Amino acid sequence: MLKKKQCVAMLLAGGQGSRLGILTATMAKPAIPYGGKYRIIDFPLSNCTNSGIDVVGALTQYQPLELNAYIGSGSPWDLDLAHGGVYVLPPYVKGKHGEWYSGTANAIYQNVAFIEQFNPDYVLILSGDHIYKMDYNEMLAYHIERGADVTIAVREVPWEEASRFGIMNTNAENVIEEFEEKPKNPKNNKASMGVYIFTWDKLKAYLTEDAADPNSSNDFGKNIIPNMLRDQQKLFAFDFNGYWKDVGTIESLWEANMDLLNMPMPIDLYDKRWRIYGRNPGVAPHYIAPGGVAHSCLITEGCEVYGRVEHSVLFAGVTVMEGACVEDSVIMPNAVVERGAQVRRAIVAEGAVIGAGAQVGEATGNIAVIGQNVKLAAGAVVAAGEQREH
Amino acid sequence: MAMKNVMGIIYTGERDSYLRELTLMRAIAALPVAGRYRVIDFLVSGLVNSGVKNVGVIMQKNYHSLMDHLGSGKEWDLHGKNDGLYILPPFLTRENVGVYNGSLDALHSNSGYLRRSKQEYVLLCNSLIVFNANFSDMLETHLRSEADVTILYSKSPNLRRPEYGTYFEVNSEGIITDVEIDPTRPRYENACMEVYLLRKDLLMDLVDRGAAHGYHDINRDVFQRMIRDAGIRMAGYEYTDVCYRMDSVQSYFNFNMDVLDARVRHSLFSEEKPVYTKVRDEMPARYLEHARVVNTMVADGCIVDGNVEHSMLFRGVRIGKGARIKNCVIMQDSVIEEDVTLENCILDKQAVIKRGGKLIGPSTYPIVISKDMTI
Repeated sequence: MLKKKQCVAMLLAGGQGSRLGILTATMAKPAIPYGGKYRIIDFPLSNCTNSGIDVVGALTQYQPLELNAYIGSGSPWDLDLAHGGVYVLPPYVKGKHGEWYSGTANAIYQNVAFIEQFNPDYVLILSGDHIYKMDYNEMLAYHIERGADVTIAVREVPWEEASRFGIMNTNAENVIEEFEEKPKNPKNNKASMGVYIFTWDKLKAYLTEDAADPNSSNDFGKNIIPNMLRDQQKLFAFDFNGYWKDVGTIESLWEANMDLLNMPMPIDLYDKRWRIYGRNPGVAPHYIAPGGVAHSCLITEGCEVYGRVEHSVLFAGVTVMEGACVEDSVIMPNAVVERGAQVRRAIVAEGAVIGAGAQVGEATGNIAVIGQNVKLAAGAVVAAGEQREH
Repeated sequence: MAMKNVMGIIYTGERDSYLRELTLMRAIAALPVAGRYRVIDFLVSGLVNSGVKNVGVIMQKNYHSLMDHLGSGKEWDLHGKNDGLYILPPFLTRENVGVYNGSLDALHSNSGYLRRSKQEYVLLCNSLIVFNANFSDMLETHLRSEADVTILYSKSPNLRRPEYGTYFEVNSEGIITDVEIDPTRPRYENACMEVYLLRKDLLMDLVDRGAAHGYHDINRDVFQRMIRDAGIRMAGYEYTDVCYRMDSVQSYFNFNMDVLDARVRHSLFSEEKPVYTKVRDEMPARYLEHARVVNTMVADGCIVDGNVEHSMLFRGVRIGKGARIKNCVIMQDSVIEEDVTLENCILDKQAVIKRGGKLIGPSTYPIVISKDMTI
């Protein structure tokens, strides 16, 4: 038995994120680059370390190579500890047969032994799909104060969008009375953020019950939460009012990046008391050449800008050559935009090369996407909304 | 032979009086350069990239910022169980007075560390020259030439100074045949880079004998005397890439400006020879609507809304709207408010120039604004 921890975090990082198209062809969604130097998983990991939660089990399954390498020993988030830290937990073989994680609840169920090592009172369930800064400690205090069995973080979403989310119908005391997954006629606009704190004994009991049910989809939203509601357990909603963005689609990933160009930023990433940590590429400051132009944009270390960059986000090591123009776009690490190429309303993935004079995306319309390491020929044209994998 | 059989020792107690305010509170090794680095980063990274696993850093005065910067050596992968980074500040014992009188003195005080280290060779370096070397060729040449000591030298005009420095004559076999110390006008173009490669047992022997003679400085009192000593074979190894000596405000300023030149920048920073430094986890630099930035290097965490030309902006610098910055080196977290004009200035960390301020220095003698100053 290891040293007891009051609260252990379990981070569901195995999702494919199929709506992100070719961007998740070779990496899991939490590994997707965001905001010039981060990856999505930096947000829950930094939130954990900033909240003082120092045991994080990261459950990986889909395309784990990039993610596992990125998490490494956990040192960028100060999670390389002698007592605790971040643990990568892929599915494993038990006895004569192995099994994949069949659902979010099943992923936790298969790691009960991992959690038990720390003898925790509470377990925090996180997903690796969202951009937000949150003090989980406040939520834990709220959970303890109300003697809840589970507390679910909720955020008010616009009424017209409520039917896209899992909606919590609550009473005046924030007690959850009903849970509706993507309701056609929502009665409330409090959407689940996919952040749960469970009292561990309760969660374990429900996970065990769920595992014995052959008809279950082993999912928190579909099975565990409805079962707890059925048994009239104490379910509370915890209101969160800060910035929270689900980056599940190409459009929302692009938007979340563009959000950072607004002043004031809707999510303050300069905040020294709540830094977002990440693996650092260790390159020199970026360089803007005598003919370069940079307006309303974010540019990271290692970039070289000889052309024009407007209202865009450039990740580490990007080169924009003479006469090239990048507008309303997200250019991921080490991509090259060659001479005279035009990139508009586009996401260019890691290591891609936009050949000289090529045109990617259009000033209006859907977001164009150039996949990882794609070498786009000189003069090529990629229409708005098009995705190029080769 | 593998470079892991070589240990690195960096001496950081150089003369720093010509750096004025910049070294009032820090060693030259800890001087911020090139937007996000300290002088010592290049040497430590070069040693690590060459395969050296054991690096000792001799600290002298003002070593707080250096210790804070190097920490456990993690950024350089020098935090393993075996070898790693050793910080060697002066200490007080019956024989030691709590301050090193020179490099020889420092080595003598740390002979225990030298003895315990399992490497057979030592690369002894001074930390006032910025360069990004791979030392493995130097080691091979050293072994092949059967020299007792191999010294790194450069023909770069950046290292030549009137009345300062060590200059050699090197024959066609690479053997040093003459040496000049602090000549008024150097006769030889080979400037000593104060990097010495030799066997550890020879170094320990030299240190022991030097200390017994009451010498203090290993460079001046031991190596330079040895060059004249016929019994010892001293070889030179030429370093042909860019290098800069940080020994005055002017040379510090020129170096930062030269990094804006692609040739210098790409030589110092390349994928094969990354330069590691302490990470700050700043968000990327942000350019606002009125930003007009040309021929400038900008580190993460900056927010720019003014005009910047031919300058170096360190991490977290703020440039207000309407500000005009030209030929400036602006260190970490400095704030330039709206409508400020700055030309040929060096702003140390956390300096603040209030709205409308104007400071124009001559290009040959840049104005230095000390750390935490508000003007």
